[in-house]
Amino acid sequence: MKNSIKIFSIVIFVIFTIFVAGCLQSKQTPVVSEPINLVKMSGQEMIQKLGTGEISGFIMWEPYPAIAVTKGLGKDLILSGKIWKDHPCCVVAYDQDWYKATNNSDEILKRMALVQLRSVEYINNAKQSDSNDHNELINFTMQFGGMTDPAAANLSLADVEFVYNTNIPDTTTFIRKIQDFGIFVPEKWNQSGYKNASDYANSLVTNKYVDWAINNKDANSSIISLKEPVTVRYGYLINDIHELPFYVGWQKGYYRDVGINISIAEGAPFQNGAFEMQKGFKSNTIDIGSLGIPPVIIHRINSNDFSNDDTRVGVIAGMNNEGSIIVVANNITSLKELSGKTVGFPGPGTIQHVLFLMAADKEGLKVSV
Amino acid sequence: MKVGEKKKELLINLLSLVGFVLLWQAILILTREGIFSIPFIRLRDIPTPVETWNALLGSMFTHTYGPSLTYGIYNHVFASLERVIEGGIIAFIIGVPVGIGVGYSKLIGNIFNPLIEIVRNMPPMAWIPIAIFIFVSGGSIFIVFIGVVFPIILNTIQGVRSTDERLLDAAKTLGASESMIVTKVVIPSAFPSIMTGLRIGLGVGWMAIVAAEMVIRSPVGLGYFIWNMGDLGRYAEMIAGMIVIGVIGYMMNISILLLQRRFIKWAD
Amino acid sequence: MGRLILESVTKKFNSFLALENVSFEVADGEFVCLLGPSGCGKTTVLRLAAGLEAPIGGNLFLDGKKIEGVNKECGFVFQEYALFPWRTVKENIEFGPQAKGLDKKECNRISKHYIDLVGLNGFENHYPKELSGGMKQRVGIARAYANHPKLLLMDEPFGALDAQTRNLMQGELLRIWEKEHISVLFVTHSVDEAVFLGDKVVVMSARPGKVKEIFDVKLPRPRIRTSLEANIIRDKVLTSLGMEIKLAMKEK
Repeated sequence: MKNSIKIFSIVIFVIFTIFVAGCLQSKQTPVVSEPINLVKMSGQEMIQKLGTGEISGFIMWEPYPAIAVTKGLGKDLILSGKIWKDHPCCVVAYDQDWYKATNNSDEILKRMALVQLRSVEYINNAKQSDSNDHNELINFTMQFGGMTDPAAANLSLADVEFVYNTNIPDTTTFIRKIQDFGIFVPEKWNQSGYKNASDYANSLVTNKYVDWAINNKDANSSIISLKEPVTVRYGYLINDIHELPFYVGWQKGYYRDVGINISIAEGAPFQNGAFEMQKGFKSNTIDIGSLGIPPVIIHRINSNDFSNDDTRVGVIAGMNNEGSIIVVANNITSLKELSGKTVGFPGPGTIQHVLFLMAADKEGLKVSV
Repeated sequence: MKVGEKKKELLINLLSLVGFVLLWQAILILTREGIFSIPFIRLRDIPTPVETWNALLGSMFTHTYGPSLTYGIYNHVFASLERVIEGGIIAFIIGVPVGIGVGYSKLIGNIFNPLIEIVRNMPPMAWIPIAIFIFVSGGSIFIVFIGVVFPIILNTIQGVRSTDERLLDAAKTLGASESMIVTKVVIPSAFPSIMTGLRIGLGVGWMAIVAAEMVIRSPVGLGYFIWNMGDLGRYAEMIAGMIVIGVIGYMMNISILLLQRRFIKWAD
Repeated sequence: MGRLILESVTKKFNSFLALENVSFEVADGEFVCLLGPSGCGKTTVLRLAAGLEAPIGGNLFLDGKKIEGVNKECGFVFQEYALFPWRTVKENIEFGPQAKGLDKKECNRISKHYIDLVGLNGFENHYPKELSGGMKQRVGIARAYANHPKLLLMDEPFGALDAQTRNLMQGELLRIWEKEHISVLFVTHSVDEAVFLGDKVVVMSARPGKVKEIFDVKLPRPRIRTSLEANIIRDKVLTSLGMEIKLAMKEK
């Protein structure tokens, strides 16, 4: 019996020594060759953990960067526009199953594009501090973004470019990047039958509804409104300033004016685009929704059941360009300094994920997810 | 006869596993052909054994696509195991003395029993939100600790309390002091129970760490891996990860069982 | 050395009266057998002598000193052996010397001596589960002896053995006892065993236990089981005991 105790303690001691050695060793590895560790978390957590020092930075959609900066927890390191100028970000998409099942889906989509146009024009005007609608816009921003500080609201608006046009060439670029980063499941890509990135982009995105909206933008609402009002189940992301046009259209009654009743889809607002695709669009609980275009690109392939195409969506309008920021702790001055450290992001497959990889690629850094 | 019976058992075990895998493959093939379906369940999205195996091989080691580095299952396994072992060691160091104290002394038992009884019914998962809040590094080791420590404490208490009365009498009549009775009679007698507690505890801790890793933020760990793969729609990798979790849990159980058998030769 | 006196010992367990006014004596070096029906409190007498229990009335004395608390000068041998299963034969025997704080060399010497005495040479490193009943009890006896007790307390030590082993062990016990002569208080159910082993047989009454009769067994050693004198004594004891057994059964 004594022998067994001896052997047991020796085993424990050996395991212990291995761990100590392992810990010491990991501290010795040069920081340069270590990857930047992206870790998924919510926007709230990003702000909290940047404050406590648990993470050294995060990349996130507005308003979180603005909140962190105005609280003095960190500073902007790289704006997403610097990584890729005018890159598309959020878009408006419809569920293919809804489209097929609804008689006047085309008419509905035209008017959705029209409302988007109107909301974007309103926002672009009201952004000016001398505009009459400026205060109203700031209020909308604070409500939708979950902020209490008008300064943060102002800052977040400044960094986002609101749009309504779609952009097929840029979508093609995105698809290529996602292919390069090995995110698609190979078997699924093959099943999709798309020959290449351009083929996919063209099948996914259409500008025809936006074109109609531009032609009819000055038309009288009462004339153009749907004869019978319809209800649309709408999905969107939580506290995401990118989707402010939706909120504006909703609060100012633009949707109602054209005969569309907005009902919030089950599960909305979603944590990130992946959830919106997998839980919302795939289960047919969303008719139309807004989300980042990379989750659309990825999940329409990876999460799709090709026998019934349940995760198929169509993109009809843009929501915003740019508008994501890499925020870092105050003592960090370059992306390189994040090597070996933890950086928060909203999750794999989001646009922030792709953007961060692109930024790291430019500097020859590695990123682990 | 014994050897032959054991071989037969082993054969049945292996064959049944193979059988389940074949059944899995068959159900999926039928479902994808449209012949078979279950309402409310998206069977088609479930990967086949073949796809899962490929995913397992494919994601076993770390990959790099340009700037994107994906840790392999290999790394995740070690990260999770490390947490379980560390939490387990702390749980053992704290749990065994507490169990001995509570089991042996009525006074200590009365003091600690109510607390133990209430806290042990809180599942490790329930501790996650507060652990994230209190511990700087997310407290995953703490979650493991909570999972492992209670089986250890309870089994130790039981082992101590079920010490044969006559052995205690014998020790007393042989002139043993109280401390000698505790160290040389009670503890050795409770040793098999303590080991059982450790074995069960590690099982709980393993399950707890996987759940905790899904919530607590760290870039490596099997729980994180599974959740990540789900976010990317890579279901085959998810299932591969789940199977790895199960297999490792099984191996941990067996290794302690073997250790028990080797070192507790004297028990019946 | 090893003189045990019980003086009007009374013992109660809660409201249950086990022993009432028990008085008898084990003289220096005497082998006394305690006989009685089931439940009469024989084991309780042993436990009181060992100091594992305390009487509520009366006293026990060992060599003139009152027995209070566990008595380290008694060796106890249990019916179920009570060997430490995680210790080998040698280690079991060394338990007492270790408790005394003796060094390794000394413990070694003691255990070697007693392993030899009880005839277990070659089995030093075996575990109890590998031994037969008779062998286990030899270890039990050796372990008790290793502490150099003045008084050996034995609680039906051969009760779990088969008849042949039992007879064998009785002989072995006497052989060991002749070599290292100490007082013995031996509890048993068996009249044959009591008369074969003891210098004195104390017959106890049914519960609550009282001393009914004490018989002197003045037979020469080595004892012959079937001698005429042995038969006569055995008959007397049997009669005395028989009445008590009937009473005990009525109670049940």
